[in-house]
Amino acid sequence: MNWLSRSKPIVLVVAATLGAFACGGGGGGGSSTSTNKGTIAIGIDLPESGAEASNGVPTMAGVKFAVDQKKSIKGFTLSTVNFDDAVNGVHDPQKGAQNVNQMLANADVLGMVGPFNSNVARAEIPITNQAGLVMVSPANTNECLTRDYDYCDPKASGLRPSGQANNYFRVAATDDHQGPAMADYAYDQLKATTLAVGSDNETYGKGIADNFAKEYLKKGGKIEVRQDYPGMKNVSDFRSFLTSAKSKNAAGVYFGGTDSNKVCVVRSQMKGIFPASTPFMGGDGVVTSQCLNDAADNAVDMYGTVAAVDASHTPEAKSTIDAFKKANPNATDYGAYTVPAYAATQAIFEAVSMAIDSNNGNKPSRKQVRDAMAKVKNLKTPIGTISFDKYGDVQPQIITVYHAKAPSGTDQANAPACNTNNSVCWVFEKSVNYSGGA
Amino acid sequence: MVSIALQRTRSIANGRLGSLLLLLALCVVLVVVGQRVLSGGLSFFIQILVFGLANGAIYGLVALGYTMVYGIIELINFAHGDLVTLGAFIGLAFFPIFGLVEGKDLGLIGVAALAAVFLIAMLLTGGINVLIERVAYRPLRNSPRLAPLITAVGMSFVLQGIMYLWKGAFQIHVPDILPGSRIPLGPGASVGVKDLIVIAIAVVLVIGLNLFIDRTRLGKAMRATAQDRDAAQLMGIDINRTIAATFFIGAVLAASAGMIRGLYFNTVNFSDGYQLGLFAFTAAVFGGIGNIQGAALGGLFIGLVKAYGDAYFSSAWTDVYVFAILILVLVFRPSGLLGMRVPEK
Repeated sequence: MNWLSRSKPIVLVVAATLGAFACGGGGGGGSSTSTNKGTIAIGIDLPESGAEASNGVPTMAGVKFAVDQKKSIKGFTLSTVNFDDAVNGVHDPQKGAQNVNQMLANADVLGMVGPFNSNVARAEIPITNQAGLVMVSPANTNECLTRDYDYCDPKASGLRPSGQANNYFRVAATDDHQGPAMADYAYDQLKATTLAVGSDNETYGKGIADNFAKEYLKKGGKIEVRQDYPGMKNVSDFRSFLTSAKSKNAAGVYFGGTDSNKVCVVRSQMKGIFPASTPFMGGDGVVTSQCLNDAADNAVDMYGTVAAVDASHTPEAKSTIDAFKKANPNATDYGAYTVPAYAATQAIFEAVSMAIDSNNGNKPSRKQVRDAMAKVKNLKTPIGTISFDKYGDVQPQIITVYHAKAPSGTDQANAPACNTNNSVCWVFEKSVNYSGGA
Repeated sequence: MVSIALQRTRSIANGRLGSLLLLLALCVVLVVVGQRVLSGGLSFFIQILVFGLANGAIYGLVALGYTMVYGIIELINFAHGDLVTLGAFIGLAFFPIFGLVEGKDLGLIGVAALAAVFLIAMLLTGGINVLIERVAYRPLRNSPRLAPLITAVGMSFVLQGIMYLWKGAFQIHVPDILPGSRIPLGPGASVGVKDLIVIAIAVVLVIGLNLFIDRTRLGKAMRATAQDRDAAQLMGIDINRTIAATFFIGAVLAASAGMIRGLYFNTVNFSDGYQLGLFAFTAAVFGGIGNIQGAALGGLFIGLVKAYGDAYFSSAWTDVYVFAILILVLVFRPSGLLGMRVPEK
């Protein structure tokens, strides 16, 4: 990865030069396959520094690995243009918007992988939609990015004011499945009938907590306490919430949000108030090593969902993961979203390839790539055979449940994350297909 | 004559109407609060009281630093909150050196080691604050008030930046080494040994500070400097040394608050100081800025309001309760609950 980032300026210079040549000789319409027809760049926008580097960097590595493997499509050389949307170490919607504007200024960028966070996507979609730049997110899960549900504010259509065709796709499943998946698990498997629910009050956290609550109540569960914490990063005492939950006999806590907003500090403060084995549940924002570190000696018996298949339990993924780990030997290079990012990049390759064909072998426009993406069907990727529905959401919608516990056997090697001293890992529990709709 | 009389009656009517409305509002608030408290039960109320007191003790310790610095040079030291975090960061670095790790019973040696870490963190943070005063505030002592105020804001960001570079952006886990046992206070309520330790340390420090300022030569010099800097200088008091000492003591208290806070919540983040400082400053104003007892009282008050707000109402509105009460108090007592100890100038 060091090598890649250091050589980036050179790659860009080469790419720009090649691009200039391609523009000059574009009229020739070369039929020879060996001639270089120019460069097609994949934009990357992820949080790659500070607190969220552990999310963004392994995801970026997945994209770069896919590009390194593919190298070129139909005579066009592939490259990446990388942007970091973290400011002061935390994902920042405005920085994301600024990044996509820079991508749009680069004529070689025909598609982008990202962003990681739903609120960043909310800032970016209006800009990329206007320009027709296709985006494929490996990790966004908020359902309101693609759907116009009543409770959505803003609705998906509000994010696409230009009235252009949809340009936003994702390979992650959505929170309207992720929340209910945990609700089903809590009620059916953990047999918890009374819970307390909280969130960090962000787009993602509050949304997933609401979806959890809806399904849990429908199943007959009772929610005794509900607490949303705006500006949760600055809150340090959650024991009032936990004490009132305990006094109302809650058998566990569901908390929507991300580890950077101290969600897992809530778990550590359950110590002394709840018995150690009380389940603490959350979405993919807690299935991280930071979360296990924050929860410290109370980390065991947390449960978390991830809106994707577990790559280590998918036979198709094995060869890709092995090859990736060979090329990127550091343990921190690989993360839960490396393989989804790889699949997202493959989807862009497929769309670009189709668009080149429909443009008689010439470099397609962004809108041609976007239109081709809507037609991508049954694409074989390491996360399974995927298609996109008319909203841009991936099919099938698979949710995986993880359980934080001491690893045994191959658990540690297969876990999406472990704590610093590897005493607790997120261990695969089960995958559920929610494609039928919940 | 007539118009004056008319004005008077109008102002009385306004005053009466105003206080009537206020009384009515207060009654409504009391009824709503009372209802919630009664439905929650007594033991829940006591449990939250314990949390509120412990939180308040921490706010109080931080507020002392604001109030001391304001009292002596009338500077709102915006960097003070970040000294709290810095103290915790420094302490954290010494934990492994002194063999303080999670999951081990503290024991007598552990207590001594912890005391040593406290001492080191307090002294180092104190030293850093003296340095900050020398570099960033002393050269501006005779400039317009706004200049040192802005340097203080700047120092706050500098400190945060240093901590960010040092430990990164994520919250850091502070080992849970204080005893976790709890003393039951009735059904469903208990007070943790941790809570007691936090409150005890804060009380000892506040009393110690009070004695120091009332009884010692340096304390006397501080009071004199606060009252009239020039006159104090004429009397042979070394102003620079006195002010430096004030910054040192303020930072020592901040560092101890940071350590206590870290051990209590078991987490610390480089940017924690901003919000913490804001509330501690509010506590200082609430109690009467420049007033040591006032700062401690203000801190307790804010801790309690926040804990009860979280427990009985939505935590989304907790800050609103705190500031609503603050506004009410300041409208009727502009110099804070216990009054300012800053002389008119």
